[in-house]
Amino acid sequence: MKSKTSLALPYRLAVTSRVLAAVVGGYLMASLAAICLALWMPTSRADAVITGMMSSFVFYLLAVLWCFACRTAWRAWFGVMLPSAAFATLAGVGLWMART
Amino acid sequence: MKEGFRQAMAWLHTWSGLIFGWLLFAIFLTGTLSYFKDEISHWMQPEVQAYPLDSARSLGVAQTYLQQVAPTAARWFINLPDDRDPALTVMWQDKLDPGRRGNFIQKTLDPVTGQDVQARESMGGEFFYRFHFQLQMPHPWGRWLSTIAAMVMFVALITGIITHKKIFKDFFTFRPRKGQRSWLDGHNAVGVLVLPFHLMITYSSLVIFMSMVMPAPILASYAGDTRAFFNDVFPATNNAPAQGQPGKLLPLLPMYEQARAQWDGGHVGRLGVNNPSDVNASVNVFRASSDNVVHEFDSIVSFSGTSGELLRTSAGQSLPAIIGGSFYGLHMGQFAGPVLRWLYFICGLAGTAMIGTGLVIWLGKRQLKHAKSGVMPFELRLVEVLNIASMSGLMIAIAAFFWANRLLPVGFAERSAWEVQTFFMAWGVSLLHAVLRRGRQGWVEQLSVGALLFVAIPLLNALTTSHHLGVSLATGDWAMAGFDLTCLASGVFLAWAAWKTQHRAAPQTRAGRARSLTLKQEAN
Amino acid sequence: MLLALLMCYAGFTALCLSTDRHHGELLHSKPSPQRRVGLRAAGWLLLALSIWPAVALGGWSRGLVEWCAVLMLSALLLVLLLPYRPRLALILAGVGLLASPVAALAIL
Repeated sequence: MKSKTSLALPYRLAVTSRVLAAVVGGYLMASLAAICLALWMPTSRADAVITGMMSSFVFYLLAVLWCFACRTAWRAWFGVMLPSAAFATLAGVGLWMART
Repeated sequence: MKEGFRQAMAWLHTWSGLIFGWLLFAIFLTGTLSYFKDEISHWMQPEVQAYPLDSARSLGVAQTYLQQVAPTAARWFINLPDDRDPALTVMWQDKLDPGRRGNFIQKTLDPVTGQDVQARESMGGEFFYRFHFQLQMPHPWGRWLSTIAAMVMFVALITGIITHKKIFKDFFTFRPRKGQRSWLDGHNAVGVLVLPFHLMITYSSLVIFMSMVMPAPILASYAGDTRAFFNDVFPATNNAPAQGQPGKLLPLLPMYEQARAQWDGGHVGRLGVNNPSDVNASVNVFRASSDNVVHEFDSIVSFSGTSGELLRTSAGQSLPAIIGGSFYGLHMGQFAGPVLRWLYFICGLAGTAMIGTGLVIWLGKRQLKHAKSGVMPFELRLVEVLNIASMSGLMIAIAAFFWANRLLPVGFAERSAWEVQTFFMAWGVSLLHAVLRRGRQGWVEQLSVGALLFVAIPLLNALTTSHHLGVSLATGDWAMAGFDLTCLASGVFLAWAAWKTQHRAAPQTRAGRARSLTLKQEAN
Repeated sequence: MLLALLMCYAGFTALCLSTDRHHGELLHSKPSPQRRVGLRAAGWLLLALSIWPAVALGGWSRGLVEWCAVLMLSALLLVLLLPYRPRLALILAGVGLLASPVAALAIL
C-alpha cells in the first residue's frame, strides 16, 4: 500500500468496487438470507422472522470479509451476487409455496 | 489484496477502524457512562430525595396526581422508584396518533407528599444514554448511523482477531515503556482479554435495532404488514381502543400485587394505563427489567381498568425470543447488581480504550515516517486533529456538561437544553483548539484542561450544593459520593496522561535512532 | 463472586507460567515439560471449576454472566500487574489459592 502504483486510479477504483460490493451487495445478501430463514424455518412466523433478522448480520460479515479477501474486485461481486441469487430463488420458492 | 488473507484482513481492520473509530469512541464512552445513568441523574438532580421504597404509597400518590391533572389523557405511565432510581415519574400523552411518535409530558413526584418535585431540570444520565444510540441526530438518522457503526465495529473486531497472529502466544504479553510496541500490546490486551464483552456488546447492538435496519424478513413473511409482526411479538401492547363511554378507573394497587404474584414475587418496573377515563380502560403492568438477565418483552400482565379483571398474563417465551431477549438484556445490563455494574463499566472502558489506542497507533505508525521533515501531510494532520478532538475533546465536553449542571441557575427554565449545548460547545471549542495547536501541545493542553475540570468537580459540588463528599459519605449516599470520587479519579488519570505525553521522547525515525546510538557508542 | 475471582486469577496465573516466555520472566528458569503440563492442567481446571461458585450463588443465567465478567477482569488484572509488579502478581495468586477454601465455606 506504500508504493506509488498503489495510489493509482485502477487501485482506487478496485477498492471502491470492493467497498460497494461489501456494503451494498453484502446488505442484499444478508437480507435475502434472512428472508430465506424467515420463510423456511419450521417455527411460528414471528419466531422465524426474529431468527432471520438476528442471523443476518453474520451473513453480512461473511460477505464483507469475502469482498476484501478475494483476489479481484470482480470476484468480490461474483462471490456476493451468486449466493444472493441462490437465496432469492429459495425465497421465491418459499413465497410461492406459502401462497399455494 | 493479492498479498494474502491475513494482510487483506489487516487492511480492512485498519481502515474500517480509522474511519469509524472517532464515532465509535464517542459511542463507547457515552454508552459506558450509561451503565451509571441513574447515579449520574441522582448527582445532577440532587433535589430528588430518596425515600425508603414503599410501592403502595408511591402508586397511590401517582394515581391521585394523574387523575387530578390528566384525567382525559390517552395514556398514562407510572415509573416506580427502585433502589437505583429514587424518582417517582409520571408521564401522560394527550392523544394517540398511530404511527406518530408520542409527545409525553413528564413530571417527577415526591412519593410522600404527592407534589411536583422542584428539582432542577436536567437530562441527567439519560443524555449519555440517548446520545450513544441517537447521536443527537433527528429520528431515525442517529439510530441508523450508530447501527452502521456497530456493523463496522463487528467487522473490525473479527478482522482484528484474524489479523492477530499470536493471539494465544501473546495472550499475557504487555510490555510498557517501549513506544509503539507498548501501544500495540495495550490495544491487544484490552481487546483480547475483554473480547467476550466486546463481541456481545457489538452484536447485541445490531440485534436491538434489527427491525429497523433489517426489515426484509418482516416484509417478506408478513406481506408488508409490519403492524401484524409487532402485535405478534409484543401482544400485550395491542390494547383495546377507547369506546367513548366514561368509566371509573379502579385503584391500581391490587392489580400491582396480582401481577407480582403472577411473577412469583418479581418486581414491577412500571405501569401503563390506556384510556384511563374510558369504560374500556386497560392497565398494563410491566415487569422490572432488573429481574432477569434475559429481557422478557412479554412480561406484561394486563387488566381491565374498570373491572379489575385479569385480561392476559405473560406466556412462556420461544427460543428465538429468549435469544433476542438475552442480547437485549445483556446489552442493557439492568439485571446487574452494584459489583457487576462496575465490572460492566470497566469492560466498557476497556472497549473505549481499545478504540482509542487503535486510533493512536494508526497515526503513530505513519507519523514515524514524517518525523524527520517535521511537516505532516494533510491527511495525517486531519487524523491527528480528529484523534485529539474525539478523545480528549469529548472528555472535556463531558466534564463541561457536569460543570454546567452545577453552574446554571436552578430555576432557569431552559437549563436542560443549555446543559446539552454546553457539552457540544465545549466539544466544538476543543476541535478548534486541536486545529490551532501542534499535535503534542494539543494533547497535553486538552488532557490538562480535562484533568482540571474533573478533579475540581467534587469541589464544585461542595461549593454549589449541600450534597458534597463530606455529607454523602456520612449519610451513605453511595451514588453521590461515587460520582464525586470517580470524577476525581478520572481527573487524576487525565493528569497522569498529560504528564506522560509531555515527557515522552519525540518519535525518532530509524535513522535518527541509529545516529543517536552511534553517538552514544562514540561517547563511550 | 469472590471465590470465582480468586480461582480465575490463580488459573490464569498458572496458564501464564506454563509459557516459556513468562515462566522465564517471573521465575527466571525454563519450565520442565512436566511442570508445563502440570501448570496448564491446573490452570484450565481452575478456570473451569470457577464456574461452580458463580452459578451456585446466582443461578445459571446470572451466574454465567458474572463468571464471564470475573474471567475477563481477572485476566486484565494479571496482565496489567505482570510488567509492573510481577512478584505481587504471583503472590496474589498464591494468597488467592490459600483463601479459596475460606471463600468456599462462605458459600456452602
